[in-house]
Amino acid sequence: MIDTALFAQAAFPELMGGITLYHYLFVSAAMFGLGVIGFLARRNLIIMFLCTELMFQGAGIALIAFSRYWMNATGQVFVIFVLTIAAAEAALALGLVVYLFRRRHTLDAQAWAELSG
Amino acid sequence: MIEKLAQLHPEIALFAATCIVMVLGLAKSSFWRGMSVWVTGLGLVAALVLSFFSPQTDGMLPNSLPYLKAMIAAIGLMILPLMGGTVDRWYERTVGRGASFDPLRVTRGEFYAFYLLSLMGVMLCVTADDLIWLFLALELTSLPTYIMVAMSTPRLRSQEAGVKYFFLGALSAATFLYGFAMLYGATGTTQLQDIAIHFRTEGMGLIGTLGLVMALIGVSFKIAAAPMHFYTPDVYQGAASPVSAFLAFAPKAAGFVVMIQLLSTVGWGWGEHGIALPEALRITLWVIAAITMTFGNVLALLQSNAKRMLAYSSIAHSGYMLVGLLVGPGQGPIAGNGLGAAMFYLLCYGVMNLGAFAVLACLEKRDEHGELVEIETVEDLRGLHAARPGLAWAMTLCALSLLGMPPLLGFWGKLGLFTSGISAGEIGLVVIMGLNSAVAAFYYLRLVRAVMLDTRDEDMDRPALTDMFGRRVAAGLSAVGVLVVVIWAGQLQAASDHATEVNPRIRQFNERVVEAEETPVIESIARND
Repeated sequence: MIDTALFAQAAFPELMGGITLYHYLFVSAAMFGLGVIGFLARRNLIIMFLCTELMFQGAGIALIAFSRYWMNATGQVFVIFVLTIAAAEAALALGLVVYLFRRRHTLDAQAWAELSG
Repeated sequence: MIEKLAQLHPEIALFAATCIVMVLGLAKSSFWRGMSVWVTGLGLVAALVLSFFSPQTDGMLPNSLPYLKAMIAAIGLMILPLMGGTVDRWYERTVGRGASFDPLRVTRGEFYAFYLLSLMGVMLCVTADDLIWLFLALELTSLPTYIMVAMSTPRLRSQEAGVKYFFLGALSAATFLYGFAMLYGATGTTQLQDIAIHFRTEGMGLIGTLGLVMALIGVSFKIAAAPMHFYTPDVYQGAASPVSAFLAFAPKAAGFVVMIQLLSTVGWGWGEHGIALPEALRITLWVIAAITMTFGNVLALLQSNAKRMLAYSSIAHSGYMLVGLLVGPGQGPIAGNGLGAAMFYLLCYGVMNLGAFAVLACLEKRDEHGELVEIETVEDLRGLHAARPGLAWAMTLCALSLLGMPPLLGFWGKLGLFTSGISAGEIGLVVIMGLNSAVAAFYYLRLVRAVMLDTRDEDMDRPALTDMFGRRVAAGLSAVGVLVVVIWAGQLQAASDHATEVNPRIRQFNERVVEAEETPVIESIARND
């Protein structure tokens, strides 16, 4: 289990000596949280997509920090695969958004009117 | 490495077919373009045959490959005739009338290739023994489905549905990715077996529990369970009926398989009798299952659109299957195998749900612009019995089976879930499930009444039968399946139980840890004395 007394184990350069696993996790959680808030609050499709990217990269930072903490490379390998998936999703998102924009001439998610319950 | 490759033979067959189909779909001659659906079927048959020869694995569910992969390939084969002709129908007609062929405007190759890739993703979820693999397999399952929804009809609302599905899918992917990251953080490994051993020796801890709950919530998008179920009706309504039928099976199968893999890292060896999940997870799943089935059934009651009704019923069925996951494999002497019951129910659901969507896909009417579109309201189905008795009977059988009417297939599926729930002592949840099944009767019987008992007013125009023969084949297959598969229900249930046995190595590990935990207590008492 993660011991609060144990920080990132190998020596950092002098200036970054005070930075611990928890700082990284805080940044990653903040990025993830901002992504969720942005996704729910914004209505522009491109911004919403960028917010999901923010969430992906937040998870990526957590993976790299944990990789450093456990001193194995698995987390970093994971991040490379996450980047690949993020790239594939970006291609897909832009394709879909452009396709929709050509027919609708707006990127406002609230203009989705055809489907209703 | 070679042993690992032997587990992947069905996926390799599907991948080979995918590559061929992608090229064939662009062929200049319409004969070769038409062959793409047959090659898809051939790939699925090859995968089905190969999956029976799948070896045991060293993963969390060592016997799961033959049953689960064969189920995925078989249901994929049943959905395929329904898929035929979904895209490119209008374009092929203009080409048939003598227009010159433009390879940029055909989408058939991509459509079938995405179909195969998505099924391949589901199979890879079964084979997965690593978090990275699990993540990639889940994404491979869902990324093609986003495009399939958007391209399934040329109507604007299909594209809106595709975009909506994609965005919520990305949100869910990010959520379970963060959960996976925390699982890695808590254990220092992405191998599911090592995670399981870590959880058994060191306990779960806050980060592990949080990671698992986040991963489960993210994956609940794939199975259309609360709190990630809001997209379901809109997406199923916007997509063409064949694609909706596919969405109700493939991502759901992937989601359930991943959930079982994740939950088996913790194991069902906790609680008072040692047959339950850890309390935090048990409560999470309990609440998700109860909300999912209640929400799905109650909202399905209010629908007049048959596709939306089936979408809400798909949410409700996920709730039923979650009961099986909550119960677990039944390690103790009293508990029935809930995982086996859930996986058997998934097979039943795949068979019977297909028929309901296939009947909707078989009938067409003119929309306000004068174009032929698939019917989707219950109103359109009224009096179907007089005009198309075959389709009316298919719809009736499938609706009754979805409702769980004995002796149809759905009843035997539900029976396993009920008995496993009762034997594990989850009486509260079983009562909620029973009440929900009663509520579900209202709307399924409304479908039956519309097709069998109601008469159509003379002035309404009749929905026309589609000229795509494959769709009628799919409806027939599903209706016959609902009746005939019952004969083998016992064997399939047994196969499903066998497939979901948790790796005995980890179970032995569990028992050893329990012994080791008991000894130090005695020693410490002895020392204090």
